[in-house]
Amino acid sequence: MNRWFAALPGPTPVKVLVAVVVAVMAVVALFFLYDWIGTNLLDSGGTFE
Amino acid sequence: MDESLNPAARRERSRAATGRVTRIVRAVGWISLIAGVLVLGFVFQQLFVTSWLAERNQTALEEDARVYFEDVEVVEVPVSEVQGLSTDEGGEDAAVVPDDMRRLLVEARPEAHQPFAIIRAPGIEALEEGWTVVEGVERSDLKNGAGHMPHTPIPGQPGNSVISGHRTTYGAPFGDLDRLEPGDRIEVETALGIHGYEVRETIIVDPFALWVTEPRRGAWLTLTTCHPKFSSRERMVLFAELVDGPNAEVILAS
Repeated sequence: MNRWFAALPGPTPVKVLVAVVVAVMAVVALFFLYDWIGTNLLDSGGTFE
Repeated sequence: MDESLNPAARRERSRAATGRVTRIVRAVGWISLIAGVLVLGFVFQQLFVTSWLAERNQTALEEDARVYFEDVEVVEVPVSEVQGLSTDEGGEDAAVVPDDMRRLLVEARPEAHQPFAIIRAPGIEALEEGWTVVEGVERSDLKNGAGHMPHTPIPGQPGNSVISGHRTTYGAPFGDLDRLEPGDRIEVETALGIHGYEVRETIIVDPFALWVTEPRRGAWLTLTTCHPKFSSRERMVLFAELVDGPNAEVILAS
């Protein structure tokens, strides 16, 4: 984790900003993935195909 | 074990082996931890985040529906002009009250995604306070609550009105559908007023059983949701028949 952080470009404040942006994007992507799995496998809403 | 190695070399080899095992155990531990966090995140997102989003949207949708109730155009149509309801072909009631004397209240069809009705089932926790119904059953519609199948009649009108809703996620408006029994009451509020339905039957079908949405004589409400809970393998379908409301008398006499 520390190595990844150190590999980020720019000074420390920029590194922190980039890390936060990447983390937020990862969480959003993860939620979209969760939503897709949930809608297709867990509960499609009860409509007919 | 190589007996030819001296004790120092043997200790070194043992330490290297122990280091490999430690690294493997550590890697397995991290993978398990990350997998656990991802699974917990999935459960949290599906059960809590989706419900929070749906319930937050419901407040705004109910307000929109109330405004729609005031604005929507309502007309009176002679029963003789309503397909499948006219008794002029020789039905017994035709002789008592001619079709052109009996009038049906008809509201304009809502546009796609428009919140236009509120469904309630007294005594059933998930439906006690009511869920706003929007026009359409696209995924985006059902994420907000219950959705009305567009090619079916509006609740309170003759035919088979079909409404779908989630069973476990997005607030689970139809989470307790299995608790409704024959004779239980379901209410659907539209611009015309409150239409009362009585549950007649609940069945389990496969996800391709489109026949449940086909037109029926009289006025029916068909509710569909996933079955069993936490799976979209099958569909639970509940049939309820109109028993009271603004149009009930006219429809039941036809």
